Amino acid sequence: MKRIVELTINGEPRDMTVETCCSLLDALRDDVGLTGTKKGCDVGDCGACTVIVDGQPVNACLMLAVEAEGCTVETVEGLQPGVDTLHPLQDAFMRHGASQCGFCTPGILMMAKKLLDDNPRPTDEDIRFGLSGNICRCTGYTKIFDAIKSAALEMEAARS
Amino acid sequence: MRRFDYHGAETLEQASRLLTDLGDDTFLFNGGTDLLVEIRERLRRVRNVVDIKGIPGLSDITYDETRGLTFGALVTVGRLERLALVRERYPNLRDALASLGSIQVRNRATVVGNVCRASPSADTIPPLIADGAFIHIYSRTNMRVVPLAEFFTGPGKTVLAKGEIVTGITVPPAGDNSGKAYIKHGRRKAMELSTVGVAVSLSMDDGVCSDIRIALGAVGATVLRAPAAEAILRGTRLDAATVKSAADKAMEECTPISNVRASADYRRDMVGVLTGRAITQALEASA
Amino acid sequence: MNINTPIEEREFKIVGKSVKRDDVLEKVTGEAEYTGDVKLAGMLHGKIKRAAIAHARIKSIDVSKALAYPGVKAVLTHENVPRVLHYGSPHPRSASCTKDQYILDDKVRFWGEGVAAVAAISEEIADEALDLIEVEYEALPAVFEPEDAALPGAPLIHDVGPGGNLVLDPVRVNRGDVEAGFAQADFILEGTFSGGRPHPAYMEPNVCIADWDGSNKLTFWTSTQTSFMVRGILAEVLGLPLTKVRVLVDHMGGGFGAKQDCFQHEFLCALLAKETRRPVKMEFTRHETFVAGRARHPCKVWLKQGFKNDGTLVARDMKLVYDSGAYGSHGPGVTIVGTTAATSLYRCENVRLEGRCVYTNTPINGAFRGYGVVQSYYALDIQMDEAAERLGMDPADLKLKNVVRAGDIAPSGHPIVGHGLEICLQHGIDVLDWKSLRNRDRTPDPKRPHIRKGWGIGCEMHGSSAYPGIKEQGNATVKVNEDGTVTLLTGAAGLGTGAHTALAQIVAEELGVRFEDVGVIHGDTDVVPWDIGAFASHTTYLVGTAAKMAATKVRASVLERAAMKLQVKADELDLSEGKIFVTAEPGRFMSVAEAMGPSRGIPAANIVANGTYEPTKSYSFAAHFTEVHVDTETGIVEVKRVVPVHDIGRVIHPIAAQGQIEGGIQQGIGHTLTEDYVIDKKTGRSLNAGLVDYKMPLSMDMPDIETIILEAAPDPGGPWGAKGVGEDPIIAIGPSIANAIYDAIGVRFHHYPITPEDILKALREKGA
Ligand SMILES: Cc1cc2nc3c(=O)[nH]c(=O)nc-3n(C[C@@H](O)[C@@H](O)[C@H](O)COP(=O)(O)OP(=O)(O)OC[C@H]3O[C@@H](n4cnc5c(N)ncnc54)[C@H](O)[C@@H]3O)c2cc1C
Ligand code: FES
Ligand code: FES
Repeated sequence: MKRIVELTINGEPRDMTVETCCSLLDALRDDVGLTGTKKGCDVGDCGACTVIVDGQPVNACLMLAVEAEGCTVETVEGLQPGVDTLHPLQDAFMRHGASQCGFCTPGILMMAKKLLDDNPRPTDEDIRFGLSGNICRCTGYTKIFDAIKSAALEMEAARS
Repeated sequence: MRRFDYHGAETLEQASRLLTDLGDDTFLFNGGTDLLVEIRERLRRVRNVVDIKGIPGLSDITYDETRGLTFGALVTVGRLERLALVRERYPNLRDALASLGSIQVRNRATVVGNVCRASPSADTIPPLIADGAFIHIYSRTNMRVVPLAEFFTGPGKTVLAKGEIVTGITVPPAGDNSGKAYIKHGRRKAMELSTVGVAVSLSMDDGVCSDIRIALGAVGATVLRAPAAEAILRGTRLDAATVKSAADKAMEECTPISNVRASADYRRDMVGVLTGRAITQALEASA
Repeated sequence: MNINTPIEEREFKIVGKSVKRDDVLEKVTGEAEYTGDVKLAGMLHGKIKRAAIAHARIKSIDVSKALAYPGVKAVLTHENVPRVLHYGSPHPRSASCTKDQYILDDKVRFWGEGVAAVAAISEEIADEALDLIEVEYEALPAVFEPEDAALPGAPLIHDVGPGGNLVLDPVRVNRGDVEAGFAQADFILEGTFSGGRPHPAYMEPNVCIADWDGSNKLTFWTSTQTSFMVRGILAEVLGLPLTKVRVLVDHMGGGFGAKQDCFQHEFLCALLAKETRRPVKMEFTRHETFVAGRARHPCKVWLKQGFKNDGTLVARDMKLVYDSGAYGSHGPGVTIVGTTAATSLYRCENVRLEGRCVYTNTPINGAFRGYGVVQSYYALDIQMDEAAERLGMDPADLKLKNVVRAGDIAPSGHPIVGHGLEICLQHGIDVLDWKSLRNRDRTPDPKRPHIRKGWGIGCEMHGSSAYPGIKEQGNATVKVNEDGTVTLLTGAAGLGTGAHTALAQIVAEELGVRFEDVGVIHGDTDVVPWDIGAFASHTTYLVGTAAKMAATKVRASVLERAAMKLQVKADELDLSEGKIFVTAEPGRFMSVAEAMGPSRGIPAANIVANGTYEPTKSYSFAAHFTEVHVDTETGIVEVKRVVPVHDIGRVIHPIAAQGQIEGGIQQGIGHTLTEDYVIDKKTGRSLNAGLVDYKMPLSMDMPDIETIILEAAPDPGGPWGAKGVGEDPIIAIGPSIANAIYDAIGVRFHHYPITPEDILKALREKGA
């Protein structure tokens, strides 16, 4: 059974034709061609597929594409505010070495974005708690914590 | 992954009919965080799923001082976790909610789904049982309300008949001088399925325990109450020695198994340790 | 190069700075292309049917229903694939491999081994078709423990190899006279140690895509650390010349050693594509990354050492048994490296070592960060703490007394350069004020009397490069373009370690251009120079030196060219920050672009040079200082703080080096406390092949890590003295935790992972 799903992805209206059993993750990667969002487990355990749906981060592998009808979906590809500018988190991840193999990075960036949107001055504990559904096997997390803290400060400075 | 067909229902009646008419291997689809995993890991054979998320009226959350908290089948773990009301009045449930999976999972998973999956290690069940929750069941012929403690018949098994749908859960209000706690035990601090989970809800009357319920997760075929341990505590001042003997009693009352997560003996030990800690924590909260 | 070559000192402009990594820009925007992101027109999807039995002969296999299933395009079994015996771990220049694998065999040697493969128009259809394949097995008796496999009369898993389920003949190392050593000893310690089966659990599941063109050439995208090895073995097994196999890998989502085999699915993917004449993609599920991936070898160690009352070590007698799983893979390499490593770390003149590697009917163990040494140094370092206890000494003092020093003979047979380990230990002792930590007030907090705190030290050393097991070779090609920019071609894989950035830094530094002017081309075996692969912590050391050599050559050519244009002699010129100037007259200069570009009557220059480097080995060192909190009621151990002190010679990119250390510590905490891939000892089935029950430490579990990197013992074999860092951290952290647990609760553990149940049981036995 195939269906057409209409939704907004990174601010643009899109439609995708999908099997009804297809996950949002596979639809984004295979049908829409947004391969930035990664598949590390396909069962909700790793967070590599984290996208923001209607303002809340979810595992795109644990949502069916048909359930995204009418939703607003944000992926890593939509994080940059402009073609030549990076989101402060992206810049901080580069400077602090928060991305090694990079496979966890898109999911962690989306999670961190949501964290800072809700809580511009997170404590260390807030950051650790916020990332507890995202596995990074390369960095030991230390540099990721550094990058998020530093991006929070920069965003704060830019606001004031 | 195996293919399956998806059906969106718009009324309870329609959902119920689809569930009975589409034949075996048809399942109700709520947040999908259990169902999709079971399909992908080939733990469950599924041909059809019936999505109830399009049915109006199942997303409500209400609270009043006499009936307590009622939430619908579609209410996600994350939504409930973020409510100030839950944090203040149901701290045990709130701790269970905040310990379930990850933020991402909690934004999809529903509390009702967690209950209906009937896993002995489900985190929301022990606090709900300790608080005396009951569950609302829709059926095309007779609607019913069942105490949660009587809902489970075995691991993954409930009293639900084919075509029955849980519409919501009601948790009675907390009395004055009540204290609650839920302690989840795992080897990591997050993304853990409980090796043991202990919930305690108690009421104190002039320094004496007037009522107490202890619910034990992951140490039996279903979440268990510990009636003998509760009996030891009721009417006492919950001094350290009484708490210790009740905790020892709870160890006798549970029936854990060994698996890759922990041995039965270890689980039993943890029932002792965590029951003691949960009672102490609930007592402190009641003050 | 030999160790007497002095290391060139200079004021660095680029080396030693944490420059921005280009590859990371693509990663933070989501543009980085990983193998799984590649989509080809008409691409089919492959899936593997896996055996649900640990040891069996295939009596019959019926694929007719699967072939008839709508959407299925091809099915392969042992009956229709080439039967070529091959190495799973085809280190091309290593003598230590065992040829023991077929693409598909009529025998199953572990639960989860592939027995057939399907290609279909969708992943779902391929998956569904697997159920339609009917396999009839004749069950064979299976063995799951090396002890059982080594017994006389045990069922034989292979008919190749030395027999008795040995993967290779026992590895024996003898130095000095062990009996004489023990005769001098004032006391002897003897113990058995063991290690579990940690899994690298890289985030990107194994994936490959095969595509044949009309000229019968195979293009093969795969997530591998060793693309030339994959090319070589695919060509050999498929009977193709190397010109007909092109292996591509751009970004990869981690490997940690384990992605340096040529895997069963890689052959099957190529063959399915050949059979269907369409591109085929094969992607592991997370479950398959466990079952069909590679884990660390479980190991049993028996260790006996003799000590004098002044702490001198006079004899070491050690036996190690590594569990290879069902195939050899890296078993030989791991056994050799892990066994010979025990000649060193703590100096001892009389050493007798014996390492064995045994087949069992369990999933294959392979290369994983720390390569055999995690296991042997865990034993050495814990027994050193026990000796200190016995002597009434601070373990820090005993370790300081015995750690290897400059000139000692390393496991490789070469004299060690520098007092790296001693300096690391001493540095940690000083910054932490170790003496006062030892003598701290140990009364527990009255509010949490069940929490006990402890500190421990773990030491390690590890070689950059796999010498002498493999005679390695690093290659690099450097081209200078007519606009003055520079292109580096390297075969080194981009695992995410930042190796390409480090190589670009080295080229820019040596050549005298800006870092931004160096571009790196990698990941295409048709284009870049041959590379042995990214493993053994050697990329910076080995390929870095080759890149530096190539840069030296192009620099000379650029200066020649500029000399012609400036009408001076080349040796009168210098080159810095992209500017070529007359040394004596800095006002006379031209840019590299001007030197390279065309001018009337002179075409643009074509300057290309290769560097080839065949080194021996250098050693990096580390001492980890770790604090744990033990809950004596639940047995939960929390690692609270780690101060890792590393010597890695010259640091090329500090942040990347720190990242390696922190990531290694995470994995090491994991295997020491929570991670173990468990195989059912009755059936051989995997019990926790997923990321919830295979428990890696996550964001809330990680301690504070205060990384210290010293440039204590630069090695003349590496670029400006640089050495490796990839594997070191995972080795030192384990014993530091075990030793800290002893400090906290007075109980010794000789195994990993140390589980909460182990803690409670031991406390009970101790009568606490
Ligand atoms: C990565 C991950 C981590 C997790 N961690 C935890 C954890 O720490 N603790 C824990 O307890 N759980 C955990 N879970 C499981 C938890 O997410 C689920 O139990 C969830 O709460 C189920 O809700 P759902 O809405 O997703 O249910 P679904 O998957 O939609 O349904 C689950 C089952 O309940 C039935 N069902 C659902 N709603 C109804 C209804 N209204 N009436 C009748 N039957 C119904 C379905 O048919 C199905 O059989 C985890 C899951 C994942 C993927
Ligand atoms: S791929 Fe969705 S959580 Fe791992
Ligand atoms: S950077 Fe590799 S998993 Fe996080």
